[in-house]
Amino acid sequence: MAPCLLDVSNVLFDKTLGFSNIKMKILFTTFALQHPRKVYGLVLLLTLACLAMMPLLTIDTDPENMLREDDPARIFHNQVKQQFIMHDTIVVGAVSATGEGIYNPQSLQALHQLSRGILDIDGVVSRDQMSLDTVDNITQQGPGTIRFEWLMQQAPQTQAQADAIKQAVNRLPMLNNTLVSGDGQAAAVYVPVADKDESYRIAEEVRGLVAGLDSSDQYHITGLPVAEDQFGVEMFIQMGISAPLAGLAIFILMWVFFRSLPLVTGPMIVAMATVIITMGLLIGMGFTVHIMSSMIAIFLMPIAVVDSTHILSEFADRFHPGEDPKAVIIKVMDHLFTPMLYTSVTSALGFLSLMLTPIPPVQIFGAYIAFGIFLAFLLTIIFIPAYISRMSPEALKSLQNAIHRMEDGGRLGRWLPRLGGFATGRRFVVLLVAAGAFAISVAGITRIQINDNPVNWFKADHEIRVADKVLNNHFAGTYDAWLVLESTSADNTSLANEVNQLIAGAEAQGIDLSAYAVIGNLELDVLASRLDDQLFAAGADEAVWLEQMLAVVEQEQQQRRTFLNPAVLQWMEGLQTHLLASDLVGKVNAMPDVVKTVNRELRSGADADFLLPDTANGVAQTLLQYQSSHRPQELWHFVTPDYRDSLIWLQLTSGDNQHMSQVVALVDAYIAEHPLPEGLRYGWAGKAYLNVVWQDAMVSGMADSLLSSFVVVFVMMVVLFRSLKYGVLAMLPLTFTITLIYGLIGWVGKDYDMPIAVLSALTLGLSVDFAIHFLQRYRELRKQGTNDISLAEMFQEPGRAITRNAIVIAVGFTPLLFAPLVPYITVGIFLASIMAASALVTLVLLPALLKFETIGKA
Amino acid sequence: MRVIKSLLAFALLSSSMAQAAVLTDAVEIVEKANLSSYYAGKDGRAKARMRITDAQGRQQLRQFTILRHSKEPGGEQDMMVFFSRPSDVRNTVFRVVRHPGEDDDRWLYLPGLDLVKRISAGDKRTSFVGSDFFYEDVSGRDPSADHHRLVKTTDEHYVLESTPKDAQSVEFASYQSWISKETLMPVTVEYKNHKGVVYRRMEALKVELIQGYPTAVSAKITDLERGSSTEMQMRGIQYDIGLPQSLFSERSLRNPPVQWLKGR
Repeated sequence: MAPCLLDVSNVLFDKTLGFSNIKMKILFTTFALQHPRKVYGLVLLLTLACLAMMPLLTIDTDPENMLREDDPARIFHNQVKQQFIMHDTIVVGAVSATGEGIYNPQSLQALHQLSRGILDIDGVVSRDQMSLDTVDNITQQGPGTIRFEWLMQQAPQTQAQADAIKQAVNRLPMLNNTLVSGDGQAAAVYVPVADKDESYRIAEEVRGLVAGLDSSDQYHITGLPVAEDQFGVEMFIQMGISAPLAGLAIFILMWVFFRSLPLVTGPMIVAMATVIITMGLLIGMGFTVHIMSSMIAIFLMPIAVVDSTHILSEFADRFHPGEDPKAVIIKVMDHLFTPMLYTSVTSALGFLSLMLTPIPPVQIFGAYIAFGIFLAFLLTIIFIPAYISRMSPEALKSLQNAIHRMEDGGRLGRWLPRLGGFATGRRFVVLLVAAGAFAISVAGITRIQINDNPVNWFKADHEIRVADKVLNNHFAGTYDAWLVLESTSADNTSLANEVNQLIAGAEAQGIDLSAYAVIGNLELDVLASRLDDQLFAAGADEAVWLEQMLAVVEQEQQQRRTFLNPAVLQWMEGLQTHLLASDLVGKVNAMPDVVKTVNRELRSGADADFLLPDTANGVAQTLLQYQSSHRPQELWHFVTPDYRDSLIWLQLTSGDNQHMSQVVALVDAYIAEHPLPEGLRYGWAGKAYLNVVWQDAMVSGMADSLLSSFVVVFVMMVVLFRSLKYGVLAMLPLTFTITLIYGLIGWVGKDYDMPIAVLSALTLGLSVDFAIHFLQRYRELRKQGTNDISLAEMFQEPGRAITRNAIVIAVGFTPLLFAPLVPYITVGIFLASIMAASALVTLVLLPALLKFETIGKA
Repeated sequence: MRVIKSLLAFALLSSSMAQAAVLTDAVEIVEKANLSSYYAGKDGRAKARMRITDAQGRQQLRQFTILRHSKEPGGEQDMMVFFSRPSDVRNTVFRVVRHPGEDDDRWLYLPGLDLVKRISAGDKRTSFVGSDFFYEDVSGRDPSADHHRLVKTTDEHYVLESTPKDAQSVEFASYQSWISKETLMPVTVEYKNHKGVVYRRMEALKVELIQGYPTAVSAKITDLERGSSTEMQMRGIQYDIGLPQSLFSERSLRNPPVQWLKGR
């Protein structure tokens, strides 16, 4: 990958050093004209080399990767996942189709059979699978007797047995509304997968098992890992269909405009080479293709054809039969180099500004498109001259015919002057409407709802969306957020003092126990075991001291087991109640539920005993019983084995980031009012929360991107036109357009999600092109004629060129509308409309302003 | 050292002499292994320490004293387990009356809740206080619960393959035991699931002769699926100390027989 970059740069830049700007403009062109075959060969070689890297493509659909690997939130999330042994989980749901519910022998038999089948699938962490047949039940068996057993080891044969399971589930808060929905209409199997990249295969195997069930219930599969994997599959489809379709659309459109094979072929070659080299390099350099970068081809294609179309049009315009084509090309390039350079730089800048957003896939997307734009620029000024120089006289003739046909203007030629007449004639109306629209749009922007939800990246009728909706309708929620309470690090100082005093006391009696001093971050467990070992071998005198030391250490150990403390559990209970009362949270699973359930069954089984024990020892002994089950590891999903950290699992019924943000705010407010027990801090993990983190980063990052690219583009415009006034004028249409579009989003109520956020900065760079072309031509014309004539002239050839460009770009993005995934569709609609709107605004707003004599005066 | 070795050799010799010839009947081997593992002495006492290590290397500790009393070898047996550590479960007591061929009787005393509870277990293959040992690994599995087959006899071991009579009541499809020919103690037991994959392993890490009884003073159970393991070490083992039968009663749950627990 690197070699092919270097090759180009050596050829291109070695000779540029020391040349003046004027010479540089045509330097590439003269080189290309002298060595057309070398240029062809080089482009072909580069393209093939980069094409060869394409098979290395790896798709990345993990929303987690929206955050850098070293992002603190992500590190914390993964640490929590490991600490509490949380797996990525596929959720399989059975929903009663008849409404009679899931508690009947037939439904439960099918569920039992399915669950047993899933346990055998490779890649399933069978030990942690959650289903009616894999969990334990605790019940009363007669007075004073407690019974632990599998909840549904065998599928029920009679309705009475099914009802017994119903009763049991309803009494187990950890399972109720998680394994079976509260309304009894649906049951779920939670399938933990060892490697989420395998979820699509596992989901397929589950579908196979479902197909073989004798059941009238409807089965659904959901869960983020399946959604992600499925997303990857559909991304492939998108890239395979949308990108070639975009190429085709542009080809047809250019054919409609130019009706000349040479005029269309040249730009298409540039576009293809740009896309292939850029994507090949991205893949070859080891980057994964993420949802953003999968759109690179579609972005680059329309951008890449625009410049070469400019050159070919102007060449055909200036070339007269009998002239030396090479001399004409040099003149054309000399004339077009600066505007093309500027439009390329501004477009690239829009994309480069994405580098300021701290979301790696967005950064890669921005960087590679910017690279692609420069590459397209280079290819245009090198390949197109070589291409023209090798055209036959017949081809040149056909090119000219095409251009002359276009001179008549066609439909565009008829209505563009009318548009100009309207803009200048009713300039007060235009400006008033524009000002009004601007004000309304600003109001709309304040109404924008920032929200995203990766499941909504699928279309509404997609099976994953359907499953998501159905299951969340019945259950407490299939979206997980984890509120983690952590003990702040324990301090050994006071313990060390106590122990060392005892050691000193022993030493006074000639007993050396210095080996048991508390040093640094010594693990108390280790110390206790060593003391205990010594106690075994020790004589009576020594034992007295050892026992005292052991007592001190044990007391400290006990104090450190934060989550055995009933007061702490009570605090958690309070939070749980508060969360459940809010309607935002479907269910909260935490330590207190476990402790209270076991305690109830240990005592009487009566609801009145659904309480926390009074003492830490009571809690510890209750948990010792809970652990004496078929699933002793279950406890460690809620608390670490040292009882220092605890996880509260919140089930949410939607994956909306907004929803999660509200939950975070709710918890913050609760904790502000009811402070955490001493020595505790809290943090969030879980996918729903991670999505919020990257979205926040995206929103603030995008503000930076937008602002910085606005400033830089503005400065460039001032430099380009060497006029502050023209700089402001150039920025007006795009400012207006972007405000308008975002205002519309605000009023319509469309969520401001990832694609919408990303587009703000980059449309700025793309849509300024129209203003550059418009203002530059206007200024040239103004130097030669009156304001009115200049403005009228603008709606002839220059207006047509701008309109054609806008249409090419807008249409180039429309194949995205056929993509299977929503973000692509959003990008397609949004970009097409912003391009069309900004061209229109340029052609209406600028003339309306320029009609005022003084404004346009140089 | 030499003395110890020769003593050991003598003890081993005497016990193998007692067993006379090489055994060939699988059921007989299993029954003998059951006796040597769970019925050594008329009664006995041991201090046990379990170190549970999870897949991430995080450890938990359980420490308890076991008192045992057998009515007859291979027959009904009383057992009590008194917990001493972690300190917050101290004085928690299990009482078990083992009835071979039938369900055991189990009681529980939880001092923190001031509660005596009878436990009716659906099966005996649930975790023993959160460790990788099953309740049944501590009390002993009924030899008549499985079909046994002698797979081979090596220089040191009888290798047996056992399959459950009631497949529904257990999580394994079969297990293979390596039983020492000399001590008749199972040295290794490997449990296979229905796919034929070994997912659980018991190893007797250290077997010592105590009062003439071969005793596993260190044993380990590894859960290969979960990646966790539990090592149980026994200390202060004494056999035939004259534990009275009356000690194994509900009364002792709330009032631990301190004199029998303290001595070492």
